[in-house]
Amino acid sequence: MALNLLQTVTSVSTASWDLIFCISFIILIVAILVYAAFIPQGTRCWWFLAGLTCALTVLGMTISEGWVRILMLDAAAFSAVALVWTQESLQAKKAARTYLILMIIAVFFIAAGIYLAGEGNASPAYSIDKTAVFLLVVGFSLKLALVPFYFWLPKVAEHSKPMTTVIIVSVVDIAAFSELAHLRLTAPWVFNDYSVIWLVLALLSMFGGAVLALAQKNIKRMLAFSTIDDMGYLVLGTLAGTQYGINGAMLAALSHAFFKMLLFGAVGIVENGKGSDLTLDDRGMAARYPVSAAVFILGALGMIGVPPFFGFVGRWRLYLSGLEYGGVVLVLAMAAATALALLYYVRVIHRVWLGKPETVVSSSKEPRAAAAVLLLLLLLMLAVGLYPGWLTGLIG
Amino acid sequence: MIQSTAMPMAALAAGILVQVILYRALSSKLKGWLAFGAGVVALAGVANLLPAIIQGSTIEKTLFIWDQNIPFQYHVDGLSLIFAFMATGIGSAILLYCINYMAHEKEGVTRFYVLMLIFIAGLVNLVFSANLISVYLSWEIIGLCSYFLVGFWYKETAAVKGARKVLVMTHIPGYGLLAAILLLYYQSGSFIWTDPAVSAAFTSGIFVLMLAAAMAKSVMFPLHTWIPEAMNAPTPVSALLHSACYVKAGVYLIARMYSMTHWPHAWNIIVVTLGCVTIIVGALFALAQTDLKRLLAYSTISQLGYILTGLGIGTNLGIAAALFYCLSHGLFKGTLFLCAGAVQHSTGTRDMSKLGGLAKRMPWTARVWMIAAAAIIGVPLTNGFVAKWLLLDAALDANIIAVVLVAWIVSVITAIYMLKATISVFYGVMPKWLQEKNVHEAEPSMLGGMGILAGLCLLFGIAPQILFANLVSPAVNALNFSWEINLAWLGLQTSSAGIQVTLGAVIVLAAVLVGGLIFSLIRSSRKEKSVDLFTGGEPLVEETGMNSTDITILAETVLKPVYKATDPDPLYMTIWNGIIRLANWCRKWLQPVSDKYAIPATMVLSAVVFIAVWLS
Repeated sequence: MALNLLQTVTSVSTASWDLIFCISFIILIVAILVYAAFIPQGTRCWWFLAGLTCALTVLGMTISEGWVRILMLDAAAFSAVALVWTQESLQAKKAARTYLILMIIAVFFIAAGIYLAGEGNASPAYSIDKTAVFLLVVGFSLKLALVPFYFWLPKVAEHSKPMTTVIIVSVVDIAAFSELAHLRLTAPWVFNDYSVIWLVLALLSMFGGAVLALAQKNIKRMLAFSTIDDMGYLVLGTLAGTQYGINGAMLAALSHAFFKMLLFGAVGIVENGKGSDLTLDDRGMAARYPVSAAVFILGALGMIGVPPFFGFVGRWRLYLSGLEYGGVVLVLAMAAATALALLYYVRVIHRVWLGKPETVVSSSKEPRAAAAVLLLLLLLMLAVGLYPGWLTGLIG
Repeated sequence: MIQSTAMPMAALAAGILVQVILYRALSSKLKGWLAFGAGVVALAGVANLLPAIIQGSTIEKTLFIWDQNIPFQYHVDGLSLIFAFMATGIGSAILLYCINYMAHEKEGVTRFYVLMLIFIAGLVNLVFSANLISVYLSWEIIGLCSYFLVGFWYKETAAVKGARKVLVMTHIPGYGLLAAILLLYYQSGSFIWTDPAVSAAFTSGIFVLMLAAAMAKSVMFPLHTWIPEAMNAPTPVSALLHSACYVKAGVYLIARMYSMTHWPHAWNIIVVTLGCVTIIVGALFALAQTDLKRLLAYSTISQLGYILTGLGIGTNLGIAAALFYCLSHGLFKGTLFLCAGAVQHSTGTRDMSKLGGLAKRMPWTARVWMIAAAAIIGVPLTNGFVAKWLLLDAALDANIIAVVLVAWIVSVITAIYMLKATISVFYGVMPKWLQEKNVHEAEPSMLGGMGILAGLCLLFGIAPQILFANLVSPAVNALNFSWEINLAWLGLQTSSAGIQVTLGAVIVLAAVLVGGLIFSLIRSSRKEKSVDLFTGGEPLVEETGMNSTDITILAETVLKPVYKATDPDPLYMTIWNGIIRLANWCRKWLQPVSDKYAIPATMVLSAVVFIAVWLS
């Protein structure tokens, strides 16, 4: 007998999710700051803005609902823009400019969309509802860098220091995603009545992000596209709106945050050592940076949901929600997109990290403290993946 | 019973922890001994479960709640136990072998033993799990272990390439298993495969998805091409991969589907067809190899085909034959790989065209190899004979003549490539470079590891009823079949349609024995000397005789069209190239937009969304 799993979840304890996100963000922020203490990320201004961005996000998440929360999270987004602006290169400033303009549009659209959508489960009058949905779709697509509104993220990732990008994709973006999940619960009609548009965005992000990631030479840029790819899954789970969909998206968002820290962190260690960007032309980095290599390899596999890492805990729920929402075809499409993700990660792992180094270049050794931070986070991901009960037990 | 079901896993987990905690304090050899100890305790834990299983009961235990309302639950039956025995038993023998093999490794010894123990634990957990999500978890854990172990020498390009192929080719089809599990859950509301609701929800689509995953793990055509590339791993890894812990996972999954649901006839036809094609393809490619480990890898493909064919036949005898074959293959293939490893360890190469005459320097390795080679060929007195015999009997019994023909013809091909390997490596004249090299017999622990496995090949060849009564029969029952065949010494039996063949075999066997006796009497009466024969000049040197390379060239020349038609790698390469072309094309068009026109593009796209929303 088929289970009726398609009931929209309204009883998910958003408060417990906020708490879990807050705790996770605090762990991440501590890790980012410790890492930044050993691998330079910027001037004092960077430290100030990094602290401000993180503090605003965590404070925003502690407020359960309402405009104050939205304002806090928007302020965090602008603080993140300033964080990119502190980078020295001209390209970084150019990327920050694009990011700023698009964030202004996103923040305005989301605020206006939420205002027009109003409170309650019922949709507002004709034309207001369509305007609200248009604003929300474009606003969230810009903020989460969904395909085809992803333009700012690859540039920011390529030209920023790794921890700046981590603050954006693992803290600010994930907080923004939690807003989308809130919206799914408070205004379900925005998704139910316009499901095709959300579905197209989700699929475009999953496949577009993966295909574009395969075409990148710069590893940080590739990781940015992998974030875009991942956001597609999160939106799909949110769109499904079932218990497994929402919980899966939330868990996947959390794992995304941690794994991106691991991936960017590993790349950052190598870039700090070699003094230039890590690209597909580099070879045999594992010989010189064994811990970073291990972290990157396991982080990449965990990122795409390979057991026994935390990524799997959210990923199988997302697949199940895909099955509930779109049947076997959708779940196979999700698996195909994940296979593409495997291909782009494997490509990097085997071209850049493993194998013989082409030339013998003297490099600095891995900073132990930064590597230790990454290792500890990796162990945490493994522990939660092996026994997810302690975390999933909290959400009921 | 908690202690007993959890004991194998607890022992392996303890072994892993000790390796990690004491990694600086222990020598390589001590690490090896500790890993071996953990394996033996795990084996004892598995053996501890045997009495209950022989009595016909199954052991069910919920250990804890793993994730929300999903229990971590074990269901141990006869089938579970066969595979758990393979993992821990053959695994322990391989770990014993590793002690000396890995002693001289400069780095990564702890990593090696930790991965080996996780590998074994992964298979034990896979076959014990009643929870399908836990089955998938274990499925992927052993996948990861194989990936990291194949790429153990991660600074070597060949090892890294092999590892990449293993990961990509086995992980992607693995999504079939995950999709099947989620479909079952969606339909039944349960992840527990023993739940009748799961059985009721089983469909042909789910079968196909699970089969796809199993095919990749069990190197079934056309998902088999990863295994020859995985040969650049340390040899114990190859042995574990081929004999016990990896390719057998797919066999387990296919067999387990008999426990979950009744098979329609079409499923049997699919599995038998795939099995037969795999038997042929594996053997034909094995003929063309000059690398000893690659030859063994292709032979694994062929042998796995035999096992799957037995499962596909789907009769009492077919299932029993398949399960016995599975165990037997674990033993003789493990032995063969360990011997190949000893040869490589001693000579530094596994290229058969550069080897020869090693039986003089490595007599015990040669003897052990001979036993295992005889077993894989199917020579009487070995377990391989019993396995092949039962399989042929099952096919005859089920009136599937095509299987009989394929199995018989490929047995001949198996004999050819195994003899080629045996003669090339151990007999003939030792090449000059080897004579100058300090080639020595394998170390005692290495000999011990492979000797134990070879001894079991003989034991279960002479007295297979030990295995049938204690392991195969409970496993057959666990798959909803019944075992009513009376098996005698040497695997001969009289209670099926194969009686005529059995009688014929007895006559042939008697004739061979009498012939052998006469030959040995005649030979012993003569003084051994070479015959002086005028060959038109001076005698030709032995190197000009036919060797492994010649056979390879011959096979490549004669079978070229077959190799071309049955190699799926060009197709996979075309798919990969297509994806890369698409990716580059997308980047070429989208990157300028992203770099120069991000804001205008956003405006245009917003307008598109506006129209789409309005039209919704």
